Amino acid sequence: MARVGVFVCFCGANIAEYLDVPQVVEEVKRIREVKYAVDYKYMCSDPGQGLIRDAIVQHKLTSIVVAACSPRMHEKTFRKALSDAGMNPYLLEVANIREHSSWVHQKNKKAATDKAMDLCRMAVAKSIANEQLHEISVPVTKRALVIGGGIAGIQAALDIADARIPVVLVEKSPSIGGKMAQLDETFPTLDCSQCILTPKMVDVASHPYIELIPYAEVIELQGFVGNYKAKIKKKASYVNFKTCTGCGACWQKCPVKVANEYNLGLDKRKAIYTPFPQAVPNKPVIDAEHCTMLLKGKCGICAKVCQPGAIDYQMQDEVIEREIGAVVVATGYDMWDPTPYEEYGVGRFKDIITSLEFERMVSANGPTNGVPLRPSDGKVPKNVVFIKCIGSRDEAKGIEYCSKICCMYTTKHTILLHHKVHDSHAYVFYMDIRAAGKGYEEFVKKAQTDTAATYLRGRVSKIYKKGDKLMVRGEDAQIGQVVEVEADLVVLATAVSAPKDNPDLARLLGISYDKYGYLSEAHPKLRPVETAKAGIFLAGCTQAPKDIPETVSQASACAAKVCGLFAGDTMKKDPMVSTINIEYCSGCLNCINVCPYTAIVTDEVPIGHGSKELRTVAYINEGVCQGCGSCVAICRSMAINLAGFTDPQIINEIVSI
Amino acid sequence: MKKLTYFPGCSAHGTSEEFDSTLKLALKTLDVELEDIPDWNCCGATSAHVMTENLAYALPMRNLVLAEKLENTTMGIACASCYQRMKVTKVHMDENPELAKRINTTVVEEGTYQGTVDVKSMLQYFYEDIGVEPIREKVTKSLAGLKVACYYGCLLTRPKNITKFDSPEYPVSMDQICEALGATATEFDYKTECCGASFSISNTEVVLNLSGQILEMAKESGAHAIVVACPLCQSNLDMRQPDIEKQLGVKYDIPIFYITQLMALAFGYPASQLKFPKHIVPVEGALANIGKIDPEAEKKIKKPIKAVEAESEVE
Repeated sequence: MARVGVFVCFCGANIAEYLDVPQVVEEVKRIREVKYAVDYKYMCSDPGQGLIRDAIVQHKLTSIVVAACSPRMHEKTFRKALSDAGMNPYLLEVANIREHSSWVHQKNKKAATDKAMDLCRMAVAKSIANEQLHEISVPVTKRALVIGGGIAGIQAALDIADARIPVVLVEKSPSIGGKMAQLDETFPTLDCSQCILTPKMVDVASHPYIELIPYAEVIELQGFVGNYKAKIKKKASYVNFKTCTGCGACWQKCPVKVANEYNLGLDKRKAIYTPFPQAVPNKPVIDAEHCTMLLKGKCGICAKVCQPGAIDYQMQDEVIEREIGAVVVATGYDMWDPTPYEEYGVGRFKDIITSLEFERMVSANGPTNGVPLRPSDGKVPKNVVFIKCIGSRDEAKGIEYCSKICCMYTTKHTILLHHKVHDSHAYVFYMDIRAAGKGYEEFVKKAQTDTAATYLRGRVSKIYKKGDKLMVRGEDAQIGQVVEVEADLVVLATAVSAPKDNPDLARLLGISYDKYGYLSEAHPKLRPVETAKAGIFLAGCTQAPKDIPETVSQASACAAKVCGLFAGDTMKKDPMVSTINIEYCSGCLNCINVCPYTAIVTDEVPIGHGSKELRTVAYINEGVCQGCGSCVAICRSMAINLAGFTDPQIINEIVSI
Repeated sequence: MKKLTYFPGCSAHGTSEEFDSTLKLALKTLDVELEDIPDWNCCGATSAHVMTENLAYALPMRNLVLAEKLENTTMGIACASCYQRMKVTKVHMDENPELAKRINTTVVEEGTYQGTVDVKSMLQYFYEDIGVEPIREKVTKSLAGLKVACYYGCLLTRPKNITKFDSPEYPVSMDQICEALGATATEFDYKTECCGASFSISNTEVVLNLSGQILEMAKESGAHAIVVACPLCQSNLDMRQPDIEKQLGVKYDIPIFYITQLMALAFGYPASQLKFPKHIVPVEGALANIGKIDPEAEKKIKKPIKAVEAESEVE
């Protein structure tokens, strides 16, 4: 007869405060098969696990129920405790009395206790029918896919490749580098962004273990951890990168001028272009939306001047496939569009610019050769007003969260302004100064002293034009008065927002995203770089706003995770997979239609013993199966069995309540 | 002939009589007949909504219920405050049928609130239901030469989620109508600033200060006159102007027109019918600019400003 041990956790106050744990223990003790039941403050802790290990030996238990938090949190922990005591780990059942009872029924202790008892009874009943299961080994494709070539993707790719694991780096735009390539200097050390980034970009291009695929997008991902198959669409660049030498004759002669994305439209680029001079790869692409040859069949100058004959107007988009074992998503962020701030006259006044536009202006390779200029008349501004929290921390017009980097980059901007225009004066309207980070507070203090910038705590309510000046009216909360500043230039510290394509990408990859569009990590504290889908990791701002040091740390963490995943030749996988009893299988193949993982294929078996005639049955690849149970539900012959969720187990659960 | 349910509000029979009468002239030209709500009552502004919720909703609701008995589906309101109370009530009642049922018990004699009549300010009615082009077609005497600053005040386009009309910060509907009449609308950043509203009576100092800034910015923009569509804005800017001038020591001399006065003028009605003598600040100086087209404005008319800069250009 089964001998079940039940271990009920207080989870500190998380469970004990909202339901009566000792009463739950008393109740389960009344079940015939329960030979041992006990509660403890933190069952997941080492003494807690010790209770389980000891009881298994002392009471000769045959299955274990832990009533605690969600199995997604600690199922692995407790399985290990069983293993350590010499018991098959799959004889464990977790009754989730935290997320499913104490947390959601905080106002009704009696009902929460009753529900916890029901959950325990079900788990005990199920565990009685539990069978010994064994992990499955599946082969691993040791190649990583990195999506996005900003600093996060670059760092992750380099770290993985340095461990001699092949990396496929896919970048949407013609060059890697991302937003960091648009920055002038970086806080808090004022390192030149280009100087620290471009060597890494070159390393990516020359690394023997990195396959760089620029101007491309991932359009499909199939398979499972260790065995993914990715389809990548290489957009037609109309330039043969193999023969192109990057000499630049084409873009010098191209007659079509288009707003330059790299400089945020502050100047023009050509229709055949490299995004910026330090681009990697340093090969141009043709912008099909503006090239007159591609649009109207007129021009063709670039082909005429191209000595190696690399221009190919007939080039088509190409879809390639790569087999990979893990994915690092590093799609970065978008700058928030400040148009909703109508009271500032955004869009009407040319001399209101965003921080990234200011960054481009003060960059040595920017459209104004490193000097900030008023877009209206090209004059050098003297009084510059910086307004922080544009879109950030604004539930009415923007987003609720703090974008984290704006306080620091605005501080940096006051310094850069001071460096470039010596007789200028900066005014900063702020809500709070958030300078948590190594050397950050010191940086802000030093900037305030060195630049003598005027910091005004309060929101700006209106900007209007007076002559050629912008009048910025806001509150100075420290003196409790409305103040007006006469500005030559206004710089809006716009929020960091999730890339607008993130939801589509998340659906494509089968991972989740939050209400803002940021991709969700598996656990906010303990699994911050993993997604809920095994083998897919997150680096950089695609998960949440963060600065460069944090982004690089997270990217390296991703690389460590990928390397860990690829440490062996095979990978262990939970044995909760479906198997088909072919004796019962009628070959209707409905299961193939409902399987979301394409784990089921057809097979031919003899009609009878020794017969030469064959019939069609379904066959499940246990390496691909994720144990969702869809096939079990659809099978009308009840031929499919899902290990760990067998019919006797489920029926036991139902009968017990 | 179009028909429109009309809620004049109390000021149309007093301080803003010239708004009411010129509105009727303009609508006559535009072939719209007004139908007054029979036995209409006070909208409650501005005391009811700071006193009790029930009164704040019940007063406008009675008017809405009465308006539903007429055949028209739209109610036009001259006064911005009346518009605000009526619109807020309509939106809140339509969003919350339970609340509507409760408030309806106060005005049960008039009937059951259905929510079938839409509420619009007259500015909104001109802009959306008549349209800028039909207004342009009716102009017989262009106002070319007259530069105006269009002042919307705080209520005509706010709050955005209630009015759902034009921009809450930089509206352009009145500007476009004025341009259709031939006048030039100046670039005026104080379009939606507060004039001080009913503080005119209780704390005049506040109004002198706030309305003074509006006059200052209008003058700065180069306007000969300010155009409004709200009785309280008109009275604060016009009636208080001598006090403002005295306080600030500046001579503005900017007349404050109702949009309907300019429409009637452009539609060819004689000045004698437009109630100009009711104005505190004389209008003759500003109106003398009509016909005096300065070369720069002419250039602007001939060569309209490009709406969107072309995306690409070929050398």
